[in-house]
Amino acid sequence: MKKITWLLLVLLALALVAAQCGGPAATEAPAQATEAPAQPQEAPTEAAPAPAPAEESGPFRVAIVMPSPTTDMAWGESIYDSLLRLQEETGGEANFEIAYSEGMFNVTDAAAAIRDYADSGYDLVIAHGTQYGTSLFEIAPDYPDTSFAWGTATDTGADQGLNNVFAYEARAEQGGFVNGVLAAHLTQSGVLGVVGPVEAGDAKLYIDGFVAGAKYANADITVNVSYTGSFGDTALAAEAANTHIQAGADILTGSAQQVVGAIGVAKEKGVLWMGTQADQSPLAPDIVAATQFYDWVPALRDMMEKHQSGTMGGVVYSLTLDNGGLQMLYSDNLDQNAVAAAKDTEAAIAAGSIDPFTAEAGAGAAMADEAAATLNYDFDPVRVAIIMPSSITDMAWSQSLYDSLKQIQDVVGADKLEIAYSEGMFNVTDAAAAIRDYAENGYNLVIAHGAQYGTSLFEIAPDYPDTSFAWGTTTDTGAEQGVTNVFAYEPRAEQGGYVSGVLAANLTKSGIIGVVGPVNAGDAKLHIDGFLAGVKAANPEAQVNVSFTGSFGDTALAAEAANTHIQAGADVLTGSAQQVVGAIGVAKDKGIPWMGIQSDQSPLAPDIVVATVLYDWRATLINMIKMNQSGEKGGKVLQLTLANGGQTMIYADSLPAEAVAAAKAAEAGIISGDIMVEIQ
Amino acid sequence: MNEGLSVLAIIVGIAHSGIRLATPYLYAAIGETFSQRSGVLNLGVEGIMLMGAYSGFFVVFKTGNLFLGVLAAALTGILMGLAMAFISVTLQAEQGISGIGLFMFGLGASSLLFKTTLGTVEGVKGFPELHLCLPSGYCLSDFPVLGEIFLGHSLMVYGAFALVPVSWWILNKTTWGLKIRAVGQNPQAADTLGVSVAAVRYITISIGGMLAGIAGASLSISLLNIFQENMTNGQGFIAVALVYFGSWTPFGVLAGAMLFSLINALQLWVQVLGLNIPSDVAVMLPYLLTIIVLAFPFRRALQPAALTKPFERGEN
Repeated sequence: MKKITWLLLVLLALALVAAQCGGPAATEAPAQATEAPAQPQEAPTEAAPAPAPAEESGPFRVAIVMPSPTTDMAWGESIYDSLLRLQEETGGEANFEIAYSEGMFNVTDAAAAIRDYADSGYDLVIAHGTQYGTSLFEIAPDYPDTSFAWGTATDTGADQGLNNVFAYEARAEQGGFVNGVLAAHLTQSGVLGVVGPVEAGDAKLYIDGFVAGAKYANADITVNVSYTGSFGDTALAAEAANTHIQAGADILTGSAQQVVGAIGVAKEKGVLWMGTQADQSPLAPDIVAATQFYDWVPALRDMMEKHQSGTMGGVVYSLTLDNGGLQMLYSDNLDQNAVAAAKDTEAAIAAGSIDPFTAEAGAGAAMADEAAATLNYDFDPVRVAIIMPSSITDMAWSQSLYDSLKQIQDVVGADKLEIAYSEGMFNVTDAAAAIRDYAENGYNLVIAHGAQYGTSLFEIAPDYPDTSFAWGTTTDTGAEQGVTNVFAYEPRAEQGGYVSGVLAANLTKSGIIGVVGPVNAGDAKLHIDGFLAGVKAANPEAQVNVSFTGSFGDTALAAEAANTHIQAGADVLTGSAQQVVGAIGVAKDKGIPWMGIQSDQSPLAPDIVVATVLYDWRATLINMIKMNQSGEKGGKVLQLTLANGGQTMIYADSLPAEAVAAAKAAEAGIISGDIMVEIQ
Repeated sequence: MNEGLSVLAIIVGIAHSGIRLATPYLYAAIGETFSQRSGVLNLGVEGIMLMGAYSGFFVVFKTGNLFLGVLAAALTGILMGLAMAFISVTLQAEQGISGIGLFMFGLGASSLLFKTTLGTVEGVKGFPELHLCLPSGYCLSDFPVLGEIFLGHSLMVYGAFALVPVSWWILNKTTWGLKIRAVGQNPQAADTLGVSVAAVRYITISIGGMLAGIAGASLSISLLNIFQENMTNGQGFIAVALVYFGSWTPFGVLAGAMLFSLINALQLWVQVLGLNIPSDVAVMLPYLLTIIVLAFPFRRALQPAALTKPFERGEN
């Protein structure tokens, strides 16, 4: 009984939503230029004055299926207006025929309409929404003489064997960025409000760009972003606008058809509005300060010409500021300095010298330390993605790599080095998906930061020959399997481990040293083997107790292992992986010195972290980036050693001088090659 | 190796470690026992623990007040328990799935909150270990064997062990406990006797959530005094297994948690002492043992009959 009640409630809710969305579509339907069908089923009979389909002499026939109305002042209207302009350009209805189905928020209905238009011989059928892709790819193969198009998308289905699908996207972040810069120059209160629809697709691009642009122009600016969770909830958008104004915003922006509600509020309160997609100034000429206008005409014209010359699809169109697909419209009564700044930004984006996604807030103080001076940062703009098993704040393996990459970015700027990362990818299947995703999205260097990712990486790498991949700890670049675009890297952890071991042997009074290991493999094994060798070299009498928790992340067990070592008499401890924060906590409580490795763990317990083997990945990373750009996509093994600066020793000031001297002598011996660290 | 260490000292060390390791399992598994005795399997314990660990830590980090920290963890746990109750009792969703959902929520939310509010691993001053030192300077925790094993723990450790007889008494000796068992065994019969099945389950799941939250706090402000993303590392799921292991009784859970933790402590010692056993085998021991015990079929007869079954009045 109860279940049925709930089901009914859900159905009722769905029905209400449907009714809301359906409303405008039903009422505002086809009082437009052509005899457009309100129902797709009627398309063949009513909307086809020209009898013979696809005859060479007949008109070019375009049908479009869109989720909102053609008068939405946003996504739908932008392309519909472009179609009308193209129609005018080609000589009117006799040469260019348009049919449309609007308000097709229901994908099943949309699929029926798409099939119907294709069936009735339209030359180009446009599915104007990301949600239609799956249906489109099913339908397209049945109509090889029809061209299809969809967006926002970059997938023409070519890898599924389709050759009659065009894809298009608007790089909305570009105009969003320009609007952001303009808004930052115009605001008095320093607060901007964004009325977003759903955090996805075109809207997300625009808003991300807007926020980045505002921050770029003024790092201290406040941009409040809210999402209504719907494209069409005008009332909620109005309320969101009200809320932003109450929160101090004096300039608003937003996207999707819902914004008419927000523009109404802006007008009433005399607050400026930044538009996108279609020109929204007719609604409120005084307050619409600027608009990112989508001009689909060139893309549509090209699709038409391609179709007529026999190319049915396979092309991806991007609307950008550079190719004129995106145009900035500025109101006449704006501060000319602000407009000039916006126009400069426009030019910089078009020229490629600003990337909206990576532009750093403010100027970005480039901090060059001494080591940075010896590194050569002379490379072209690059996009790097990292997949790592733990988090970027793990104080160990993952953080060490991330921190190095971030340091490089601090020097070269975010527009030259774009960083993306996926952390906590302890599930290898998820990691493989992420690797593929980054490669697919055009990252130049994709780093899988764990030995467990190797198998997946070798499967994925051959599919993306232009992308460089990297993984470690390993020395296997997959060359035997014919893989050519994978780098392997390996911190020679036994070197730093050896130096730590020498130091530990000089520090211990009880003659017992404890090691809190994670899993006896990879980087941890190298470290421990080196550590054992170092202790033995400096003090053959000293005893090293090694335990493994069997996990990289079991903080509680690592803490207990540290306790156990202390009870067994250890007065110096070391260990690796992110679990060690637990052990360091115990060491701190008991006042036992700790030797760290990977990241600098001293912030956690400054008094007891007496030495650290810090991994410095900068040279390795820059190396890989440069090789990628010179065409050498992989095949090299890169090592982090004491000699090449990949590992650096940090000693606490509190250490006895003779112990540090012994450790430094070991360092020098390893660098000169006099000491060879043996691995078991 | 380690000739200097007497066998007695090692046994004391293992027992002392075992008690400490068992603490989070006890809180979480006793809480889960309440929930399962009333017929609800909550697989979200891990997620609640993480949220409890975070909120407890954050409050202590900001205020320095340990009891406020425990309170925050308990409240967070109750809120998440109520969410689970709403989904599994009121909406009657599949319990396994909704529990996993709750886990993933807790994992993601605690990481997000950590990143936005702390950003890096920090430490706090957590519950101190009680050594009960006399004015003369002699500490009772140094009393041979008994003092060494049972003293020198923090208040949260004792709280976990005190919970065992208390919850046994609630479940077996109070009317309310009888209601919980009735609802888990035969909800239809309980319903006809005027017991509100939904109300009982809401309360038991909230108790389960509260204790799971405290379990998380026992890690972040008592045992480790740090917060790290995903720091529970599967302990919540082991706690659920311990409930099965302990045949749905508090003392059974205690036995399971102690066995598991003692073996864990033992394997640490085995490694430290350098006995010639591969570390992989040592690490495997506690899990191996759990599987062996779980394999005994007679235990299943003790399972609450209505476990995982949503209650629907008038249905059989």
